[in-house]
Amino acid sequence: MRLDYSVVLSKLPLFIDGCFVTLEISFFALLLGMIFGVTGALCRLSKNRLLNSIAFFYVWIIRGTPVMVQLFILYFGLPQLGVKMSSMSAGVLGLAINTGAYITEIIRAGIQAVDRGQFEAALSLGMKYRQVMVRIVGPQAIKFCIPPLVSQFIMTLKNSSIASLVTITELLRTGEQLIYTTFRSFEVYTVVAVLYLIMNSFFMIIASQMEKRMERI
Amino acid sequence: MTHIVEMQNVYKSFGQVSVLKNFNMQLAEGEKVVIIGPSGSGKSTVLRCINKLENIQAGQILFEGSPITEQTDLSTLRTKIGMVFQKFNLFPHKTALENIIEAPMCVKKISKEAAVQDAMKLLDRVGLADKKNSYPKELSGGQQQRVAIARALAMHPQIILFDEPTSALDPELVGEVLEVMKKLAQDGLTMIVVTHEMGFAREVADRVIFMDQGVIVEEGKPEQIFTHPDKNRTQSFLSRINSF
Repeated sequence: MRLDYSVVLSKLPLFIDGCFVTLEISFFALLLGMIFGVTGALCRLSKNRLLNSIAFFYVWIIRGTPVMVQLFILYFGLPQLGVKMSSMSAGVLGLAINTGAYITEIIRAGIQAVDRGQFEAALSLGMKYRQVMVRIVGPQAIKFCIPPLVSQFIMTLKNSSIASLVTITELLRTGEQLIYTTFRSFEVYTVVAVLYLIMNSFFMIIASQMEKRMERI
Repeated sequence: MTHIVEMQNVYKSFGQVSVLKNFNMQLAEGEKVVIIGPSGSGKSTVLRCINKLENIQAGQILFEGSPITEQTDLSTLRTKIGMVFQKFNLFPHKTALENIIEAPMCVKKISKEAAVQDAMKLLDRVGLADKKNSYPKELSGGQQQRVAIARALAMHPQIILFDEPTSALDPELVGEVLEVMKKLAQDGLTMIVVTHEMGFAREVADRVIFMDQGVIVEEGKPEQIFTHPDKNRTQSFLSRINSF
């Protein structure tokens, strides 16, 4: 069978729709994941034993289990306990919980990489912990966090393909549905791959711009 | 006469290591005290206990007559106690001017105009008005430390603690920082200075404290400590310093 991209390319609008669903899942998962991550990092650095252990177990469990299993528990497992949610909610929440654990560690490391003297200088001027974090340590930690965060963002965008398994018609599932009717597996999967690459490349370009802007500090 | 800082039987340890052992010290308003001593003798720890960057295990510290306890509002206490660090610790993401106005605006809630006006006076006082828009990275060590001094002054503290302010500087930059500190001393600022600059101690100090192994070995007027030290340990420390 010879390669023929014409059928696949004629369905390009379908792929573009799939891309938008992928971006939508990724965007909300990352937004929520950042909230989980920042909260988790602050808990991990807190002197409060309870908060600290909650964050520790969160990171331990999520990093130690596959994201696919986590998503299946949310979407297929929880209904048995009476907790039902739409495939979209389960997909976004599952990815957010997963990426949040990694972001927790990234942000914790970033904050700890800031020189201890910065805390002390700010405290000695009378600044409160929150002010020190928001105005002095946070902005410096961002610099350390950007490279690993970019990798994590890219990972999350790619992991969103797993959402196809809980029946969300994102990019990968769009492709698979097209294979049922066209039998063009190679062409479809390569187009899907190229589209993921394009989306991630935008991420990478924006990130390298940001890094350049942060260079002076 | 009331003391601005009074340390009574202060005990401080890091794990198994006792850093301060029944440490007693009083400081009167306007007094300039220089603490000298070998490294590891607990000099810096004395300063860090006063503004509660370190917690003490026993004894008490009084500031302006009232004891510092768990209930003390640390933010308010620290606005009255300035600190200058060995490694400057300027905020690298802020310009010289922004470094100085940060705490007055954020802690004392002073308007930006007023904070900038005051900061410019302070930059002028440390001779760096032309560097107001420079980032710390663009300044020499000596300039950074002078900005750090201006930053501490911006809170108009009752006292400033100098923790080896010239130890991280190249030798040719030490003079400009000491010059600024001498001016502050002449203006009547209360200060405690931990330093290895014996010339500065001799010239500026009202009182020199020699510390070793967490206790005060000897204290007195600079001429007494430097020319007729009573204790052997003081003598041997000073002869080692002078032999360089």
